[in-house]
Amino acid sequence: MRIVVGIKWVPNTQAVRFDPKTGTLIRQGVPAIVNPHDFPAVELALRLRDAYGGEVIAVSMAPPPAIQGLEHVIGMGVDRAVLLTDRVFAGADTLATSYVLYHGIRRIEKEIGKVDVAVFGQETIDSSTAHIGAQVASWLGWPYVYYVKNAKLDGDRLVVTRQLEDAVEEIAVELPAVISVAMRALKPRPVTLKNKMRAKVEKPIIVWSNKDLGLDPRCVGLKGSPTIVAKVTYLPEVPRKKLVYKPKDPKDAARWILKNLFLDEKTGPLLRKVLWGDSGA
Amino acid sequence: MTQVPRVECDKLCPEWPCEQPEEFRHVWVVAEVTRNGIHEASLQMLTPARKIAEKLGNKVIGVLIGYNVAGYAEDFIKHGADEVIVVDQEELESYDPYVYGQVVVDLAKKYKPEVILVAGTMRGREMAPYIANTLRAGITADCTDFDVDEKERDVLLIRPPFAAIMLAYIRTPFRRPQIGTARPAVFPTPPRDEGRKGEVIYEKVKTLKPRTTILSRTILEKRDVPIEKAQIIVSGGKGVGGPEGFKILARLADILGGVVGGSKKAADAGWIPHERQVGQTGKAVKPVLYIAAGISGAGHHMIGVREAGRIVAINIDPEARIFKQADYGVVGDYKEIILALIDELERLKKQGPEALKELLGEESRE
Ligand SMILES: Cc1cc2nc3c(=O)[nH]c(=O)nc-3n(C[C@H](O)[C@H](O)[C@H](O)COP(=O)(O)OP(=O)(O)OC[C@H]3O[C@@H](n4cnc5c(N)ncnc54)[C@H](O)[C@@H]3O)c2cc1C
Ligand SMILES: Nc1ncnc2c1ncn2[C@@H]1O[C@H](COP(=O)(O)O)[C@@H](O)[C@H]1O
Repeated sequence: MRIVVGIKWVPNTQAVRFDPKTGTLIRQGVPAIVNPHDFPAVELALRLRDAYGGEVIAVSMAPPPAIQGLEHVIGMGVDRAVLLTDRVFAGADTLATSYVLYHGIRRIEKEIGKVDVAVFGQETIDSSTAHIGAQVASWLGWPYVYYVKNAKLDGDRLVVTRQLEDAVEEIAVELPAVISVAMRALKPRPVTLKNKMRAKVEKPIIVWSNKDLGLDPRCVGLKGSPTIVAKVTYLPEVPRKKLVYKPKDPKDAARWILKNLFLDEKTGPLLRKVLWGDSGA
Repeated sequence: MTQVPRVECDKLCPEWPCEQPEEFRHVWVVAEVTRNGIHEASLQMLTPARKIAEKLGNKVIGVLIGYNVAGYAEDFIKHGADEVIVVDQEELESYDPYVYGQVVVDLAKKYKPEVILVAGTMRGREMAPYIANTLRAGITADCTDFDVDEKERDVLLIRPPFAAIMLAYIRTPFRRPQIGTARPAVFPTPPRDEGRKGEVIYEKVKTLKPRTTILSRTILEKRDVPIEKAQIIVSGGKGVGGPEGFKILARLADILGGVVGGSKKAADAGWIPHERQVGQTGKAVKPVLYIAAGISGAGHHMIGVREAGRIVAINIDPEARIFKQADYGVVGDYKEIILALIDELERLKKQGPEALKELLGEESRE
């Protein structure tokens, strides 16, 4: 089977620092990484390939540095990758992003061969919308299932297990299909030296620009995005006491906290009640 | 407010129909139906729907899809819907995101709603982007508030952006309907009014042939008090370091008759279930007391505790952002401090209210 897996190249939100003096975010020099929630998706794609044969193709719409991210997943064992990159793709919201990914998948089908499954991560760390999988499925006209923890082939259907808030379901999906893999569902395999070398030497990464895809520039990037950030404001601050205490030892800390909470008109009565019931109130 | 110039249809993507905004009216809430009726989170969406509808001079319309669901239309109305559109057909017995999504799409093409709101439950988050995309409309996930630019009739879909300390106002000026989701418990459930009346419209639709089959379903047990209902929450973050640390937090929560919650990092690491995550992509909580241990105080997290009565922060880093947003902050290792809190509380509990004199008396003696 041929499996496409979507990879997003995101700023490492963990590396964003806060400047307590100016009250602003320090984003300068924040490195980009592969969206961590995409690794379980890569792992599931690789397991399907290992079990049933075929190939895994990673696809990303991103600026050129994302090549590093694609090399990383090739290092994990992905067979090849496609980078969809063009200035006109910049500033895309999820509709415009899914539109480009859809045409990328269609072109993969034309140039390489029929795709059986498109696998996505549950969500990204920088926007966490979880839109892309459903949107790509809508463009392709394929069935789709979210929050997948595992998948196996059963004849010409894929049988997936997925977990929702209230139930665990086993679902058979006709192929071709889109699935999105729950975060932490599977432990991703490490990068191997052999695969890493292959990424560097064989360079199995195809780069397509909008010249190759031939999309109307009005339908991609910022222009093709129906949603617009119209305004950004600071959140009005909630008044807080902001007392900060450096205790001598843990017991001192505990006593300081409790003293304040018992004396506080908001929390004092509740604490008396939970400790001693009505006799404390 | 940045003025967003209206754009001529021929300047927009030709693949997406150019809508005439004035043809679109009313605010829809698409229901998720559970075994016990309309999902609480869907009823909660009636709260922002009402606010938007009032500003636009619109009606709030519930959309109810499934099999043997017509009886729930009354619940929608009693909680604030003016009308309900019901699609009750045997083929819709089990939820499938694109079959259900396509029903909403077909209804939306017929009725042209101005706004569609969907509760951001797991099923809602699965289905809503499909609806939006198939209508070639914009969608904004995990909104924490909604407002309206009445002149342009644009809904402002409000969410904290990347590494939030701010709010982004998102609008979809050229496309209708305008679609948004919000997580459960971000909005309150509107009170039930037994006297409310409203119209119920029955629709029959052609459904897609499902291409998925549910082979088995195991119902999960509901655990504990949901955090949005708790009066005291002991919450942990990345700094708690693992599931062992959360056991200590649980002991403190037990003594206080409270529950355990946590940050997204704690939930993503699997230390707490996702329904106990506080914040934009978790829940908004309103406890009297919120104790945050090993949580840095990111905007995405703090937006979930804006309505907490008092916030206690325990963090090892004196520069941690949370100290600027807490009432009582203590610098130190959460583990030692929480263990000391447990000891003190156990002692106080045993000795009775009299024991407080010694603790509180210190203040006056100093
Ligand atoms: C679109 C989007 C939505 C998001 N939604 C949410 C959301 O709903 N909820 C949410 O929580 N986050 C959300 N986030 C993530 C958010 O931006 C932060 O990354 C997250 O809240 C940080 O979690 P944390 O405070 O547990 O971890 P960190 O930021 O890593 O902080 C850990 C803290 O622990 C302290 N610490 C370490 N060891 C100890 C110790 N022994 N004792 C005491 N303190 C210690 C450290 O000093 C540090 O301050 C969202 C992000 C995005 C992009
Ligand atoms: N630009 C992109 N290129 C490739 N895949 C993407 C891109 N953006 C999102 N995805 C995929 O879609 C999933 C959900 O992303 P999101 O809808 O942005 O939360 C991610 O986990 C990725 O698998």
